[in-house]
Amino acid sequence: MTGKGAEELAPAGATVAGGQVAGEILTGDVLAGAAREAPGEQDASRADSRTKNNRAWFLVLPVVVSVAFTAVIPLMTVVNFSVQDIFSPTDRIFVGLDWFRSVTRDPEIRAALLRTLLFSAQVLLLEIPLGVALAVSMPRRGAGVSVALVLVALPLLIPWNVVGTIWQIFARGDIGLGGWTINNVLGVNFNYTLDSTDAWITVLLMDVWHWTPLVALLAYAGLRSIPEPYFQAAQIDGASAWATFRHIQLPRLRGVLTIAILLRFMDSFMIYTEPFVVTGGGPGNATSFLSILLSKIAVGQFDLGPAGAFSLLYFLIVQIVSYVFFTVLTRTGR
Amino acid sequence: MFEWMVWTLPTALVFVGLALLLAGMAVWARISPPVARRGFLRIETDRGDRLYIGLISAAVVLTVWIAVTDLSMWLALACALLTALVIGRWG
Repeated sequence: MTGKGAEELAPAGATVAGGQVAGEILTGDVLAGAAREAPGEQDASRADSRTKNNRAWFLVLPVVVSVAFTAVIPLMTVVNFSVQDIFSPTDRIFVGLDWFRSVTRDPEIRAALLRTLLFSAQVLLLEIPLGVALAVSMPRRGAGVSVALVLVALPLLIPWNVVGTIWQIFARGDIGLGGWTINNVLGVNFNYTLDSTDAWITVLLMDVWHWTPLVALLAYAGLRSIPEPYFQAAQIDGASAWATFRHIQLPRLRGVLTIAILLRFMDSFMIYTEPFVVTGGGPGNATSFLSILLSKIAVGQFDLGPAGAFSLLYFLIVQIVSYVFFTVLTRTGR
Repeated sequence: MFEWMVWTLPTALVFVGLALLLAGMAVWARISPPVARRGFLRIETDRGDRLYIGLISAAVVLTVWIAVTDLSMWLALACALLTALVIGRWG
């Protein structure tokens, strides 16, 4: 990161010996812009111009303030919660790492963690290939483009809790179109309020229905950015549709698929609203994912200590998986 | 003003330590700019990247330790710091 900042400064003639923190690239741009717009100060390209232009750092201040208020201060408070047993702001006991010990050994939380990881894995395995397939088969020109885009984007326009309500009714065996068809036309016994496998399938299908369009739109945007000569060359070489996909389209989708995988992982790993509306975590605890269990502990039982420890561990997992995905997808091939 | 954040001395010390660490890294970067290189992690990292990976790995060591064993957490802390150090030096 620091290297990049320095490179961007170089054309403007400023010499900055390495940067410090995130947000520095922004400052680099600002500094470069400021230097470009001041033609009268050509000889300011010596080392001392750095001190003069450092005021541009203040432009980062709004970001720092908003991140502090929305992320850093709440996170610090959660850390404080996680090491105390709190009855009221004045009546609290320091318990050290006891909450972390009990949370990491709680069989219910461990089961929820495995369940959530399994769900995220299934979501990625289904939605990424489906989304790419959808994007590849969408028309590339003509009136069909708008029609396909609108049709594909429709599920994205529906709020989470409404998606939950739709599927809650749609999958019901007595009055829901989907559930009734499965039970009476296909002859398969399907009841998501009693059978845990059926509940799981309902929640998974709902997520696929809601979010595959996002992957498809991202992939479609990526495909549209491939210059036409690539396809012409493939045609001249007599490449099959599969070879074109494998060697031209897929490699060029790396960037957008990185974003799609990250977004879908983080979203599915914190999924809350839809299963809360459809199954409420049941039957039993078949669909009680980490977020549902966490909100039960934090808001339902108001156990701030265990909830704090729980959410910090949750946060740690999200950090690790996101960093690994990001590193693997951006640094391989270099 | 910060009463609602229910501070305790140990957590305050941890955050002061983190702030000092970041400030120290900033000063160090000003004195000698970091150079990206490849270590046993086999990805190109500069020292800031390795600090981040090291801290996250240390947190993982502590978490796994507290999840599986009742041995002293001071021992866990030593292992975690060692992990961070190894990653920072050879990662």
